[in-house]
Amino acid sequence: MAGPHNHGHDHDHSHDPIEMADVPGYYEVMETAIRELLIDKGLIAANDIRRQIDVLDSRTPAVGAQVVARAWTDSAFKERLLADGRAGCEELGITFYDDTQLIVLENTEQVHNLIVCTLCSCYPRPVLGLPPDWYKLKPYRARAVSEPRKVLAEFGTVIRDDVEIRVSDSTAVVRYLVLPRRPAGTEGWSVDALAAIVTRDAMIGVIPVTVESPLTLENEAA
Amino acid sequence: MATEDFVSRLPNDIGGFEAGSVMRVEHVLEPWEKRCHALADVLDFKKIINTEEKRKGVEALGETLIGKLPYYERWIVAFANILFTKTIVSPTELAEKMAEVEARFAEQAAEAG
Repeated sequence: MAGPHNHGHDHDHSHDPIEMADVPGYYEVMETAIRELLIDKGLIAANDIRRQIDVLDSRTPAVGAQVVARAWTDSAFKERLLADGRAGCEELGITFYDDTQLIVLENTEQVHNLIVCTLCSCYPRPVLGLPPDWYKLKPYRARAVSEPRKVLAEFGTVIRDDVEIRVSDSTAVVRYLVLPRRPAGTEGWSVDALAAIVTRDAMIGVIPVTVESPLTLENEAA
Repeated sequence: MATEDFVSRLPNDIGGFEAGSVMRVEHVLEPWEKRCHALADVLDFKKIINTEEKRKGVEALGETLIGKLPYYERWIVAFANILFTKTIVSPTELAEKMAEVEARFAEQAAEAG
């Protein structure tokens, strides 16, 4: 399904070539109409939407990376984070704009964690931003729970057979974040230097953190 | 597939099904998609439509429409249906507002063009 345009489809079909349309399409018209009707009725304010767009824009994987880097360098913080993910993040000044709980799952030598939302697209948005399309599409949602090793291999991640893979299925109110393993060779690094190598995909659990990661991070941000 | 599977599994419930390879696709949200996401969050904060109601609203579109509509298109159609059910917005109101918005967009495009 890779192609010049992907809009989160779960299916294969051809569609009309993208035109530089002057006029917004049917669903954008519907979105605008619903928003304006709710504003007219006094149920929401135009500012509520603008403010929330700012909030969405402010949440990127860099937020989660700071949490991970802090956990790697402060064992007391890590303990509190693993006991209550939301409270741990809030300690760092990260607000939870939604009504969700966060469970942080630590990768170790014995356990590799992977997160998914089989039903839809639940994701730890306050700390990672919005999920990538592949997280919302059928192949990942359907297969992550039944053949995680094969799915991980498609991301180039091979987990030793003696390491247990735990897949956590998110819900509307319970979200997960993977605390990846700190790579060797990063002893003495600052929190910011460590945060710079922690990628979104590592916090989903589909790839490990490596010291070569900053390049990947740049590519993904582009 | 045995009919029992259709009874026990709603369209969103695909965990464990066979599916193709994971293609690492992503796209930057269109402005209206981001507004739709912000609207979903605001509807949740204001206790008008919560996340679980939204998810069920998408599921209620049925497998065919879920398969045909992209992600945020599913959300906005689900919101319309839920707002009708809650009698917050009527189908006529939405139709009239959409006609008005469409005319306004066309006018703006004509002025810009």
